[in-house]
Amino acid sequence: MEGTAISIRNLVKSYGDPGRELLVLDRISFDVAISSLVTIVGPSGSGKSTLLNVLAGLEAFKSGSVEIYSNNSSSKLGYVFQSPRLLPWLNIEDNLMFVRPEHVDKALHKERTQRYLKMVGLKNVGHKYPHQLSGGMQQRVGIARGLCVEPTVLLMDEPFSHLDEITAEQMRAELLRIWQETKRTIIFITHDMQEAVQLGDRLIMLDYHGHIFEDIKIDLPRPRDFTERAFVDFYADVVRRFHQMQARRTEEIGESEIGVTN
Amino acid sequence: MSLVADTSVPASPSTWAGQLAESLRGVFLHRRWITFLVIGVVWQVTAMIANIGLFPTPATVIAVSWQYVITGLFFSELGISMIRIILGFSAALLLGTIVGILMGSWRFWDEFFQDFVILGLSMPALIYALLCVMVFGLGLTAPVMAIILGAYPFVAVNIREGVKSIDKELLDMSHVYAVDRWRLVRQLILPSLLPFILAAIRVGFTVAWKISVLTEVFGGDSGIGYQIRVDFASFKMRGVLAWGILFGMVMLTIEYGLLLPAERHFARWRAKVKEVI
Repeated sequence: MEGTAISIRNLVKSYGDPGRELLVLDRISFDVAISSLVTIVGPSGSGKSTLLNVLAGLEAFKSGSVEIYSNNSSSKLGYVFQSPRLLPWLNIEDNLMFVRPEHVDKALHKERTQRYLKMVGLKNVGHKYPHQLSGGMQQRVGIARGLCVEPTVLLMDEPFSHLDEITAEQMRAELLRIWQETKRTIIFITHDMQEAVQLGDRLIMLDYHGHIFEDIKIDLPRPRDFTERAFVDFYADVVRRFHQMQARRTEEIGESEIGVTN
Repeated sequence: MSLVADTSVPASPSTWAGQLAESLRGVFLHRRWITFLVIGVVWQVTAMIANIGLFPTPATVIAVSWQYVITGLFFSELGISMIRIILGFSAALLLGTIVGILMGSWRFWDEFFQDFVILGLSMPALIYALLCVMVFGLGLTAPVMAIILGAYPFVAVNIREGVKSIDKELLDMSHVYAVDRWRLVRQLILPSLLPFILAAIRVGFTVAWKISVLTEVFGGDSGIGYQIRVDFASFKMRGVLAWGILFGMVMLTIEYGLLLPAERHFARWRAKVKEVI
C-alpha cells in the first residue's frame, strides 16, 4: 500500500491449549504510515509487548496478517529492547557489526554504525565494552543498533523505562530529534501515558483484552511543552479515556463474580 | 556520563605470551610457596626424628625424582601416558560435548542421559579401569576406553550447564536482526560456552589423568602408573612419592602454563570490566 510501512489485519494471539486459551491479542488491525511515530499504551498484561514480539517474528500468532512493506535495500525491522541486550564480550563497534544484514557489505555497514553512533551522541566509544558504559549510554547503543540496519519499521519496547527520569527525558528529546532527522517509522510501546503523548503523532490504547480501545491522532505542535494548555488538555483527555477503560474492566469483573455466585 | 572508566589504565596483556608470562609470574612470586616450604620442613624434621628408614625425607624423594628426570625415565613414561590421555580425553571431550549440547538443548535428551551421567559421575574410576583392562587387555585400547567412560560425564554436565546459560534475550535479539547462523555460533554461542568449555577441560583432564594412571597400575606394561606399580612391588616408598611429586608438577605446569593463560586470554573483556569497578 502506498505510504504505508506496516499493515496489521485481524491479528489474534492466544496462549494455552485450544478450548482453554487465554486471548492476548484480539483482532488487532491498524496501518502505520511511513515516517510516523506511533505510541502504543496499555495496562500491564494488555499484550503490548506480545504485540511487538509478534511483529518481530519472535512469537507465532493464531490468525490474521502482518505485512511489512520493505524494499530490497532495507531491512524489515530494528528492535530496541527494554534492556540494551548487547553482547558483553564484543566492543561497541563489533556489537553493531554483529547485526549487519546480509545484503549490506561490511564497509557500508561500518560507515552506518559510525554515523548512527554519532547521531545518538556516542562518538569515541567504538572500542569500549558495554560494561564500560552507563545504562543510558548502553541504551543509546541499542538505539544506534536499531537504526544502523536502516529498517522499514523500528520497534521500541519501553526503551527508557529502566533509566532514571532525568536521563529518560534527555533520551526522549534525542529520540524525537533522530526521528525527525531520519524519517524512520517507529512503533513505540510504553506504559507511561505522558511519554506516549509527548512522543507520538498517534496513540493506540489497548484494553485488558488485547483489543484496541482507542486510536487517537495527536496533532499537538512540536516541540511539546508539558506546561502548555493544549498539552495538558490533551493529556487529561487521554487519562480520562484510560480511566473509562479501567472502569469498564471493573464492571466486567463485578459481573463475572456475580455470575459465579449465581 | 563520567561513570566511564579511563581506559588509559594499563590493561592486562592481550597476547597469549603476555598471559603466559603473567601466569608464571603469579606462580613463582606467590606466597603459597611458604605453605609448601612449611610442609617440607615439617616432613623433613619428622622423618629425621622418626628415623625408621621406611619413611623417606623430602630430600630423598626429591633426589629420586631428580634421578627419574635425568635418566629420561620420567619423560619417556610421561610421553607414553600422555598419548593415552590425549587420545582418550579428546574423544571424551567430543562425546561429552555432543551429549552436553543434546542435554542442554532438548528436554527429551536431558532426561534420556540424566541417569547415565549421574552414574558416570559417581562411579569409582577403579571400576572403569578394571573393566577395561579385563575387556581390552594390555595395550592402548584399555586406558583410552577407560578415560572416555570416566571423563565424558564431567564434560557433559559442564557443557549442558553452558548451553542452558546462553542468554535467551540475546538469541531473540539475534533472531530479530536475522543474524546468520555462522556469525551466531561464532560470536554468541561459543563465547557464551567458553567458560564452561574451559571448566570441562580442567575437570575432565584431571579425571583422565587419574584413570590413566589407575589403568596402567592394573594393566599396563608402561606409563607412569606402571612405574608406580614397579616401585610399589619392591615396596620402594620414596619411588612412589617421587612419582606423586612429578605427577603434581605436570598437573601444575598444565594448569599455569596452559589452562589459566587460556582462561585469561578468552576473558580479556572481563578484565576491562574490572577496571571500571
